[in-house]
Amino acid sequence: MEDRVVELHNASVSYSGERVATLLNVDLSISHGEMTLVVGPNGAGKTTLLEAINGLLPLTGGTARVFGERMTPSRDDLRCHIAYLPQELFFDPETPFLTQDVVCAARFALIRLFRFPSPADRRYVHEALDAVGMNTAAKRPVGRLSGGQQRKVLLARALAQRARLLLLDEPTVNLDPQAKKEICQLVKQVQSELAATAMVVSHEAEHLLEDANRVVTLDQGRVVSDHAPVGGR
Amino acid sequence: MFGLPWHIVLPTLLGSVLVGLLSSFVGIFVVRMKLSSLGFAMSHAAFAGAALGLLFPLFDPMWMALVFSLVAAFLLGPLADVSRLQTDTILGVLFPVSMALGLIFVHQAPGGAAGGALTLLWGSVLGITMEQVWSLAAVALGLILLMIGWGKGFFALLLDRKLAQASGLPTRWYFYTVLVMTAVVVSISLRITGGLLIYALTVLPSSSAFQWVYDVKKAFLVGPLFGALAAIGGFGLSLGADLPIGSSIAVCAAVVFILSVGLSPKRLRARSAT
Repeated sequence: MEDRVVELHNASVSYSGERVATLLNVDLSISHGEMTLVVGPNGAGKTTLLEAINGLLPLTGGTARVFGERMTPSRDDLRCHIAYLPQELFFDPETPFLTQDVVCAARFALIRLFRFPSPADRRYVHEALDAVGMNTAAKRPVGRLSGGQQRKVLLARALAQRARLLLLDEPTVNLDPQAKKEICQLVKQVQSELAATAMVVSHEAEHLLEDANRVVTLDQGRVVSDHAPVGGR
Repeated sequence: MFGLPWHIVLPTLLGSVLVGLLSSFVGIFVVRMKLSSLGFAMSHAAFAGAALGLLFPLFDPMWMALVFSLVAAFLLGPLADVSRLQTDTILGVLFPVSMALGLIFVHQAPGGAAGGALTLLWGSVLGITMEQVWSLAAVALGLILLMIGWGKGFFALLLDRKLAQASGLPTRWYFYTVLVMTAVVVSISLRITGGLLIYALTVLPSSSAFQWVYDVKKAFLVGPLFGALAAIGGFGLSLGADLPIGSSIAVCAAVVFILSVGLSPKRLRARSAT
């Protein structure tokens, strides 16, 4: 197995019309199984970093390699092994999707054309919902779940997808303290169950700090520190 | 039926039902992906194209409608994707331009084409031949095959485009396919509902469906059912009261929508909870 799961060399991202790069000459290498916390002030480029790694944003300079292969916006074949949890995603109450279908949709890129989800796919979905404690909500509309429950459902997608890399952008944002704690525990559980590599952007990292291998600090698009957490594993 | 022979009534009735089914089917995408303005722009472009077809009657005006509608889709889709202009701004330019072009083409069309021009605007109860019904059925079959083959991707796109893209689905391809589907359905439906009102049959039945169901899979059944009901009701109203068929279908679709909003179990539940 490729030991280096994520490798960035001089990676830069500039949004069109902006003079200052959002990500500037970032060098970063993440090994298999690591949990990396990405911290930094608002506007530091944390979300851009995750979106550059999974190819949602094209690099304007440098290179990104994931699982040993060059990542570009067209690499859907790599992205189907990456679970991405966007920061701003919450489903409104009118969202016409059942919870189990939201989780099942994470597997769709892995299922061939003209094929429907198999019994094995459905089993993955129910095991994933079970693992995050949401099996009883499988047939409920996802928009009717609380913010914390929706985050659990999105983490269940990572499990159902059998993702090898987790990119989680503020998984605890807008949650109450109890829900934050539960989500952090689930992040650890999901990472360990999948034996996956994880990068977590978080302002509220205290619950994850003891399990993280590294803390990468970004400021104004640059990596300003990269070290093991104090008291971490 | 209504004093008309069946060989005239049957194609229009079948055509209306198929238009109701198809328009509300693509309407689920249009409503859920908030593309209503885009659908509106495409129907206006289709009108302009069909009017040009009347001016130069080398082909069936429907083909020109399809070309214009596709051009509008492929101008708007990528522009909305990559340009720094707001979609509203692009639409604000496209609406008056397509209407102006359509009216200029109608104005320049030879005298005998005036009736055809009105058909393009308001629709016609007698505007359909069995050949066109088969075209509608072929489009319906194409959509069914598309959904069987690629339905999973469309389903993920309807949930959330970014999430779908991040999970490894080629969402740009799916998005452009939605635009093409809409363009094809709008163009092929033009003769029955007219360019100005096809939009009603696209948006109203699918919006009505979302008043009743929590599951988008069910919306794909309920929406076309409402669309077919509105089309049949509009067809009857048009023949019975001697009204333009496009307007009659739009009125029936609006009635279905108002009833759905009033009786929606989702809204009733929300009201009783407060």
